Amino acid sequence: MKIDLKSFVVNGVKEVFDKMLSMAVENVALSSNETIDGSKVVGSVSFAGTILGSVNIHIPAKLSKVLAANMLGLSPEDIEGEEEINDVVGEMSNMIGGYLKSRFCDAGYPCELSIPSVTKGTDFKVESLKWDRHEKFGFKEDGEKIIVEVFVKGLA
Amino acid sequence: MTLKILTVDDSKTIRTIVKRAFSPYDCEVFEAENGVEGLATAAKIKPDLIVLDLTMPVMTGVEMLEKLKADQTLKTIPVIMLTAESGRENVLRIVKLGVNDYIVKPFKGEQLIQRAEKILKLEPKKEDKSDELLQRYISQKDNFYILTLPDKITKVVMVELENVLNKAMEAMAKSGNCILNLQNVVDINVSLVKAILLVLEECQKNKVKVKLVGSSQVSQELKGFSELGGISVYPSFEEAMK
Repeated sequence: MKIDLKSFVVNGVKEVFDKMLSMAVENVALSSNETIDGSKVVGSVSFAGTILGSVNIHIPAKLSKVLAANMLGLSPEDIEGEEEINDVVGEMSNMIGGYLKSRFCDAGYPCELSIPSVTKGTDFKVESLKWDRHEKFGFKEDGEKIIVEVFVKGLA
Repeated sequence: MTLKILTVDDSKTIRTIVKRAFSPYDCEVFEAENGVEGLATAAKIKPDLIVLDLTMPVMTGVEMLEKLKADQTLKTIPVIMLTAESGRENVLRIVKLGVNDYIVKPFKGEQLIQRAEKILKLEPKKEDKSDELLQRYISQKDNFYILTLPDKITKVVMVELENVLNKAMEAMAKSGNCILNLQNVVDINVSLVKAILLVLEECQKNKVKVKLVGSSQVSQELKGFSELGGISVYPSFEEAMK
């Protein structure tokens, strides 16, 4: 039976936003080549074992500051450096990746999770080649778009 | 007695969330970034509880826990493990390690406190600190309670403000009148609006009339925030108390 990546990702993202940020995100449809324009922060984690893969969370830079403030219990004006934003985006990636990894393990695909990494910049693309499955999911929070990409090899 | 809590996590965000969760209680929270630092700090301070992350660089939570359990002087310290992985295998592995409890991330601060309360007796922060807070924020003039906000509204101020409102509301409700003093405020922003709304909401619930006092600049700039519904800002206490 084909693993339903969409339900894994949507549930994982919604849980992280609800519990850590007290925010309700909405799952929205994306066109195949849709990206986030302008400055963005991308958090990534990889998993390896009976399956290989990675999860990338693309967040607009402006929203990443709001998320960091929310998670740390501060106001956005109190977020002074990139260190706090990177740490929050990294932790969000870790939790969303951890959720996916747990579902994969429960479905009979044991694997280990990497420590998260964070990339920030403007108009860049994250490309991964030769994966069996590459799926992209869109979310909206207060009108801002978030994209979660999953690349997997070896999964049904 | 002030309890000592040690949070061991490579993420500053999680350490901050743990600190914030314990902040209303009579606890001192110590931080460590990995298992090596965590062991050293545990040996030094002998904490009453360790909140330990599973996945960390340098030394993982599992390695630290093994070393902790092997040390006669540290092995009885209770440990709550934090993990981002909720799979059955992972949960079984954590339980076998001999931790007192575990929490799967994402988690809310309240969840951590609920688990900690099964292990420790958490007491609210001591009264004298609350009294000091009350003195800093609240004064009285005739039948009016004057709640004075500082120059800048930070998260700490918001937490203090909530505590002050909890403590002072009974007396304020008896008087029925409150003046929210914005004369010291320098930063007029969303955080200030949130603080004002918090005061208005709490006072409304307890049937306390609130009047704002501040400079003409504060008055002017607050008009830009529709959330406040164009509330009047009086230039002086005398005007507000008429």
